Amino acid sequence: MRERRVRNALLMPGLVLLAVILFIADLLLGSTRVEPSEIFTALFGNGDQGVEIIVMQFRLPKAVTALLAGAAMSVSGLMMQTLFRNPLAGPDILGVSSGAGLGVAVTLLTLTPLFTLSSESLLAGWGLILAAWTGAGAVMLIIMAVSARMRDIMTVLIVGILLASAISAVVSLLQYFSNEAMLKTYVIWTMGNLGNISYNQIRTLTLATAAGLFIAFLMVKPLNAMLMGETFSRTVGVEMQKTRVLVLASASILAGSVTAFCGPLAFIGVAVPHIARLLLGTTDHRILMPGTAVCGSAILLLSDIISNSPGGGHIIPVNSVTSLIGIPVVLWIILGKTGLGRRF
Amino acid sequence: MSRIILSIVSAAMILCSCGNEHNPAASGAITDSLGSYSSRLVIEKITGATRITVRDPWQNAEGTAFCWYLVPRDSALPDGISEKQTIRVPVRRMICMSTTHAAMMRALDATDLIVGVSGPSLVYDSLLLERISNGIVRDVGYENNLNRELVISLEPDLLMAYGVADPSSGSTGRLTDSGVKVFYNADYLEQHPLARCEWLRLFGLLTGRERMADSIVSTVTGRYHELTGKVRSITGDRPGVLLGAPWEDVWYVSPGNSYIGQLVDDAGGNYIFSDLTAPHSVPFSVESVFRKAGKADIWINPGTADSLSEIATADHRLESLPLLRHGKVWNNRRRITPEGGNDYWESAVVRPDLLLMDFVSIIHPELLPGYDQTFYIRLQ
Repeated sequence: MRERRVRNALLMPGLVLLAVILFIADLLLGSTRVEPSEIFTALFGNGDQGVEIIVMQFRLPKAVTALLAGAAMSVSGLMMQTLFRNPLAGPDILGVSSGAGLGVAVTLLTLTPLFTLSSESLLAGWGLILAAWTGAGAVMLIIMAVSARMRDIMTVLIVGILLASAISAVVSLLQYFSNEAMLKTYVIWTMGNLGNISYNQIRTLTLATAAGLFIAFLMVKPLNAMLMGETFSRTVGVEMQKTRVLVLASASILAGSVTAFCGPLAFIGVAVPHIARLLLGTTDHRILMPGTAVCGSAILLLSDIISNSPGGGHIIPVNSVTSLIGIPVVLWIILGKTGLGRRF
Repeated sequence: MSRIILSIVSAAMILCSCGNEHNPAASGAITDSLGSYSSRLVIEKITGATRITVRDPWQNAEGTAFCWYLVPRDSALPDGISEKQTIRVPVRRMICMSTTHAAMMRALDATDLIVGVSGPSLVYDSLLLERISNGIVRDVGYENNLNRELVISLEPDLLMAYGVADPSSGSTGRLTDSGVKVFYNADYLEQHPLARCEWLRLFGLLTGRERMADSIVSTVTGRYHELTGKVRSITGDRPGVLLGAPWEDVWYVSPGNSYIGQLVDDAGGNYIFSDLTAPHSVPFSVESVFRKAGKADIWINPGTADSLSEIATADHRLESLPLLRHGKVWNNRRRITPEGGNDYWESAVVRPDLLLMDFVSIIHPELLPGYDQTFYIRLQ
């Protein structure tokens, strides 16, 4: 036990250092070649104007978004896994991502043609972000209302899954009746995107992530108790209904905001908590939660670096990269090699 | 010379590929000589019929070819040709799945032969819109949403479709089983503006307006060459041209050997991706296009934007582009309908000479002083 504490005491700063290194690497390595010295000069505002724009308008906002979104999605996933005692749970299990998708689909595929708005102006402005937030928020409120009334958490899980299925059916229906341009805009939104986010939007994403993480860190002790089962949690004085509502609120704020700004980011929420558990060798949320947040940031930064690395100015969608990292991890869990499934 | 050799080789290859099933009268076929730009459409006169071959009718369809025989209504079928491979001409009822097809019909004064269209909201032509609103022309839907019962009930002589993939499993493919003659038009895949225009000759043959079509194609081709001749006489620098717009983090870049790349080149512009050769658009990061855009003097076709502020709203990073700050941006949004119709996708395909004039007036305004663009506007 003491050994593990010592290891974690070294690992945590190590992970933070890794995230910092990856953050800098994300600034240095883009889809075009820029000398590191030029980047550092540009960061301090006295470099070549073209390089300064590349660094300040393209790479820095993207790296900050990866840092925030990685932490938010991973912590949201960790809370869902503990709350539902299910190793395959993630932020999307509650239908929050589907809800955000529904908001976007309704706006793009029905409102846009009605008001003859340009899909491109919606794509990056606040229109889609507000739509995604509204969708995610509506689903969150339904889930919290169910959660406040139901004693059995599995009922909440089933309601979440059913809601997600119903929403995906509505989205399919909207897609079926929409034109090609709108469909393309929607499909591109679902591919995930870290780049096209302005500093104003980053400010909002930072506030939302900070609020979500603040509630999440307040929930560390009740979440630890939940690992021992609901009966145990009640006996040690955890107010289950209140905890559930707060955990759901935090997870939804985190996942809903990230999905609103970046589109649905695949697998980060499911896979990263397991990677953190493997690295830190603990299920104690006091260590696991910050560890998951840092791992999430590091992995999304790494995914972004990979997505920009094919060379020749080409890129691959960041969601393809996160899935390619996430799928082997989920397979590992299913095959039970690490015994992670037995920790719930 | 190389173009002629290529055409002969292509025709020979097509004869071989169509030969297995559909080539009963190969001997004595005369390949039409007027069309010299199209790489996908071959028109041959044979005894008692005109054979139309569409080569590579969709992207990555190398080696695939469709053959049709156009036979006059009152003539007997030539030996060895089945009714299934035949389109009786002139056609009296046609369904057009693309607005480009409808534009070709309009150019030949044959709009009244159209009985169905796909997606009426994308139509610009006022005559066709009027016929749609009167219920004379029906909306048949598209792809999985294709109303097959309506298509069959309209009793078309021909459904003019365009292939984006192998159609055998798609909705239009299944229509063939119901006896509807589905023609896969590949005009949109042609890489030269004059090649797209040459497809008008197919519509001429189908509607019995062959001479009219040939005359339009020949006039347009002549005007196009006249203008490119003027452009070639310019001795100064060729202004750099940026094309397209990003979708989130991706900028789908048209290669230099594309339709639009050719137009820029013919108009005396230096397309910043002219070295890129590919069969279709290539995804690039916005960052890499942004860096190259520094060399551009003019930006053409920034998506569906109608104003400079719309471009900046869609992607705030583009605000830093000097092109945007100096308002050197043109888009094909002069002739549009509020519902989404754009004449750029209709008349401009039939009139590449007018399209080239627009491009020349943007890139080298000194060549066409006081010219009022047909399809383009400078964004404010």
